[in-house]
Amino acid sequence: MSVTVVGLLGIGILLFMLLFLGMPVGFTMAVVGFGGFWYLISFKASLGMVGSELWNTFSSYGLTMVPLFVFMGQICFYSGLNERLFKATHTVTGHVRGGLAMATIFACAGFAAICGSNTATAATMTAVALPEMKKYKYNPALSVGSIACGSTLGVVIPPSLVLILVGLYTGQSISKLFYGGILAGFLLAASFMVTIVILCWLHPDWSPRGEKRTLEEKIKALPGFFEAFLLFALVMGGLYAGVFTPTEAGAVGSILALIISVMRRTLTWKGFTAAVVDTLQVSCMVFVLIAGAVMFSRFLALTRIPFDIADWVAALPFAPVAILGVIFIIYIIGGALMDSLALLLITIPIFFPVAEKLGYDPLWFGVIITVITTLGAVTPPVGASTYVVAGIAKDIGLGSVFRGVLYFLPAYIVCIILYMAVPEIITYLPSLIR
Amino acid sequence: MMNLIASMERMSRILNKLLIAIAGLFLVAMMSLAGANVVLRSFGVPVKGTFELMGLFGAVVAAFALAKTQIERQHIAVDVLIRVFPAGVKRALCVVKYLIGAIFFILAAWQTGQLGTNLWQVHELSETLRIAYFPFVYAVSLGCVMIALVLIIELLKVFNGEGETKS
Repeated sequence: MSVTVVGLLGIGILLFMLLFLGMPVGFTMAVVGFGGFWYLISFKASLGMVGSELWNTFSSYGLTMVPLFVFMGQICFYSGLNERLFKATHTVTGHVRGGLAMATIFACAGFAAICGSNTATAATMTAVALPEMKKYKYNPALSVGSIACGSTLGVVIPPSLVLILVGLYTGQSISKLFYGGILAGFLLAASFMVTIVILCWLHPDWSPRGEKRTLEEKIKALPGFFEAFLLFALVMGGLYAGVFTPTEAGAVGSILALIISVMRRTLTWKGFTAAVVDTLQVSCMVFVLIAGAVMFSRFLALTRIPFDIADWVAALPFAPVAILGVIFIIYIIGGALMDSLALLLITIPIFFPVAEKLGYDPLWFGVIITVITTLGAVTPPVGASTYVVAGIAKDIGLGSVFRGVLYFLPAYIVCIILYMAVPEIITYLPSLIR
Repeated sequence: MMNLIASMERMSRILNKLLIAIAGLFLVAMMSLAGANVVLRSFGVPVKGTFELMGLFGAVVAAFALAKTQIERQHIAVDVLIRVFPAGVKRALCVVKYLIGAIFFILAAWQTGQLGTNLWQVHELSETLRIAYFPFVYAVSLGCVMIALVLIIELLKVFNGEGETKS
């Protein structure tokens, strides 16, 4: 059997184990990588590869930023920062038609700027924003759709766990990827808001106006924005100025989040321990995914499949944009079936060399595939965010959540077209960093 | 069989609680260390060996949370198809899944343990602080042992008609 056939067989076994055994993605990649390496080299070499890659990945300095950024987000989550952010935005925009839905998107974007977790954002926003929207008799599908789609911003707006992994896996600067995600993420948030405006214009009964707040009330609500802004400015400003590395940014952000929470007396000991345990679990999941992906890519490199595919695709008589379109469609379908983190780690070794061979900017490609895979968080059958929202909003139902998400799909499509037509949306800010 | 599973679960619960507490302390230590280094560096006195300590602490954080993450089903899996399979098929697939997982982590634990012993025997030390690597490599090995134990418990539960295939 040729090495290429072995490689293709390995990919086939990987997909079978993922889909039919329901085995965790990280374990599956590690097992297939181990088996493939064993077949192509030897059992002893394969065992050695597993031991050394496991140790090298777990003790990698680059990966230490993962628990620290996750910890920062978890502290903010357990101290109710996103709740305060929503209330502050609600006070300012509540009187506008669709203002509550816009406040939800704004709060999601703000929380995404300090926490990279889709599901944490979806859970809090459903608990906090949905009762308010119900109170003002908002259309249920619009309400849950805005929460589910807003929660996906966490993956695009830095600090984002997915962007960290894309950076580590492709050897790109994390700071530059973070800066690439800023305009892309905020453009997505803005397009969600435009969607709400259009929907409210078409269906005025979907989102009645709330009561207008006094200037004093609005000023009093300002601290709700301040904490999130301070954390975001500190992390991104420090990275931009080169004051600290991404790992240190995560640590400084965690410390500041902790100080704010303690000073405001919003974080209990129980909340703190829950933040620690959640951080450990999310970080461990990421470390295992990376270790598995490294083992799998060691096997793939032996088969030369990624390079062969890149050469083959580059030689195809199609325009690069058409090939890119096919890759994006694969990501959309894959994202609907699998978590974005796992999908990216499995496919990057295959598609990243293709994109490079076609002449696309690696940073641009990294950010745009991140945006595309986030769609999977709100599309059936997996759609993690939609399940979280539907799980909490039991009276509204999963069908309404998916219907609500449908209203926002054009916004995603418009943004992806804009990123392709104007790559500077992604590449401009990173080009300013040294 | 039920007694065996119950006592294995009890042991796993106690050990995991301990490991999670240690991992939590290492997480807080990582945060404090990196934060202190940023502050002290601005005064021209960076914390010596931060780079290597962060990596070693990170290994403990991830390894000691391995089993707990599995218990809480936090490792990402694709269960779209599994959910629609009949109970019998689901059970057979679960046996294969847990068996493969347990064997893999036993091998990984053995191999990282071997790596730790080798590093111990050759007195391999970190460059700046001259800290021995082997305790941290053993920690990763212990994490693999613990997750293998959890997977074996899950496997026994499937044989016993319990666990995720029960419904």
